[in-house]
Amino acid sequence: MTPQRWSQIKKVFNGAVERPAEERAAWLRAECGTDLALLEEAEKLLRSHDTLGPFLDRPAGVDPEDLALAEPPEPASDGDAAVGALWHAGARVGEFEIIRPIGRGGMGVVYLATDRRLHRNVALKSLPVTLAGNTQLRERLKREARAAATITDPAVATVYSLEEVDGHLLLASEFLDGPTLRAVIDEGPMDVATVHAIALQVARGLRAAHEAGVVHRDLKPENIVITPGGAAKIVDFGIAWLEGPGHPHQAKLTRAGAMIGTPAYMAPEQLMGQTVDARTDIFAFGVIVAEMLSGRHPLSVADAAPARERTPEGDVLAGLLQRLADHCRQTSPAKRVRTARELVARLDGMAGAVDAAPGAPRAAKPAPRPTRFWWEFHQGAAAVSYVVMLVPAWLARATIGGVEGRSFFIATTCAAVMASMLRLHLWFTSRQHPTELPWARRRSAAWIRLADILVVMSLVIGAALVAAQSVLDVVLLVLAVGVAVSSIVIEPATARAAGLENTSAS
Amino acid sequence: MKAHHDLMPLVYDELRRIAARYMGRERPGQTLDATGLVNEAFVRLAAERTREFENRTHFLAIAALSMRQILVQRARTKRAIKRDAGGQQVTLDDASVPPSAVRAGFERPDPDRPGDVDVLALDEALTRLAEFDPEQAQIVELRYFGGLTVEETAEAVGVSPATVKRQWAMARAWLKQALEGLGPLA
Repeated sequence: MTPQRWSQIKKVFNGAVERPAEERAAWLRAECGTDLALLEEAEKLLRSHDTLGPFLDRPAGVDPEDLALAEPPEPASDGDAAVGALWHAGARVGEFEIIRPIGRGGMGVVYLATDRRLHRNVALKSLPVTLAGNTQLRERLKREARAAATITDPAVATVYSLEEVDGHLLLASEFLDGPTLRAVIDEGPMDVATVHAIALQVARGLRAAHEAGVVHRDLKPENIVITPGGAAKIVDFGIAWLEGPGHPHQAKLTRAGAMIGTPAYMAPEQLMGQTVDARTDIFAFGVIVAEMLSGRHPLSVADAAPARERTPEGDVLAGLLQRLADHCRQTSPAKRVRTARELVARLDGMAGAVDAAPGAPRAAKPAPRPTRFWWEFHQGAAAVSYVVMLVPAWLARATIGGVEGRSFFIATTCAAVMASMLRLHLWFTSRQHPTELPWARRRSAAWIRLADILVVMSLVIGAALVAAQSVLDVVLLVLAVGVAVSSIVIEPATARAAGLENTSAS
Repeated sequence: MKAHHDLMPLVYDELRRIAARYMGRERPGQTLDATGLVNEAFVRLAAERTREFENRTHFLAIAALSMRQILVQRARTKRAIKRDAGGQQVTLDDASVPPSAVRAGFERPDPDRPGDVDVLALDEALTRLAEFDPEQAQIVELRYFGGLTVEETAEAVGVSPATVKRQWAMARAWLKQALEGLGPLA
């Protein structure tokens, strides 16, 4: 049955069902014309429809015992018949010499093999022989493998070639030695800097792939290998759709009724069999990041692994990563982070928090830069300076005397206290609730600027009033210049160095 | 590497937990309804993790898939046990056979459920249907294995309830034909 034929039958069937029984026969004959096979198919279906009775009328019933005894579904590992011959160590397959089998997926056996032409080790994946009979599928596989081969990113396992040997389809790709991310997650809590490092690499890999026009479709911890050097590598680009869930040809590739896929990482639209695009990978990415952070699948009800003790700096980074993961896991694709490029940018933007987090790979990066410290120091120093400034202001009050002196002092004090308190507030926020800092800065920026302007103005007026009566006018002027320079030049520089400018802009 | 962590961690466990509770208190042999099971699982999980389950249909679709897998797997196991037991006498005092295997070896015909079908045959037919009409196959999976209503199915698949009804009727007709061995071999 082809989909085209089926939709013909469907049209006739639906038309007939809507008509009263006595009109059906005539209508059917008119509709089918000379296509007698179509007429017969439709009539058979209609007869079946009229005698449905209770067939499938009630949802499936389950014996609770069956449910309790059911094992988590296994991948179709007994699909060896579809996988083709199993080769033994030393066997020669085309230009490859098999060293040993290294794994077995739902789709086929993976071998470590040597490419005798190039004298390099490769991972050789044998694809189901059923593919050999399906030209359409094979063409698609070739197309996708070719596209995957153009991806050059350290985080994507390189696809070398797709070969056909004695009717077997073989995919040769970079051989990777190391545990999968699944094993790493299962080992126990990961420190947050490592989570960030892996997420960033995977995001870069996705960026490279998506820009080459390749969507993974089955991204999950099992498809990410962590090399001994700590590098993350995404595997199975270009072929995941073969064994991936929701693919209409999937049924042909595994034994009938084989357990399919990993719905746990599937985006809602993929689960519903709707169009899949790069944003589907972004959903899976979000699930993986959330899982790395908590040690469990975000939908899992299992107790979270005991959280690793985190310093406040680690918490900042974990918070940022969690927010990113949530943003990726939006049900509606339109609400997710839009591109892998944006993912990379967001992860890069967390650099300040990464440096502060414990467990950051010190060897790879310079020691944490004292950027935030500089900004905090400036806030503290400015706050203290404003208070100290009140001493010359007090002296100037006496010199000016009268109502003017009093007014000058009151104005200066109010402005200085305001500027000082707001800065102390920011300093405190930065120390105690770093995640709230951007918000706090946005709220108080205008007030701080206003307070600084008032301080400068009142100092200049004070200097004019004291003029010629004492050296105090010079002191007040110098202070005014100092406040202005600090506010206009130094403070923005410290904020920029601390990475706060970006945060407050976003 | 630890085995098969990727597979349906959540819904699966919850369904099993619910089943285990029912086993303790219901009369033996009573079957549970997919609708009730799936909805109970949803309510329990949603209560614990509100944020993750804003999309109920997303959950129901996973649950339907799980139910199908569970039923197929159990049916297959039972068939294998029956076949193995064919040549030898299995008695209850045979210590080498776990009691669960002995019980599972007997399929109880259930007079209360006249619409029940051979799950393995249905699964195979459904897989075939999915090759030329994935939407109908999905609708059957949601309606029969997940126990979703027409409206819920419509939301999950993203079509109108009227379309679901039409597709469901035709899929049932075709499946019945296929199960009776009269169907055209696609």
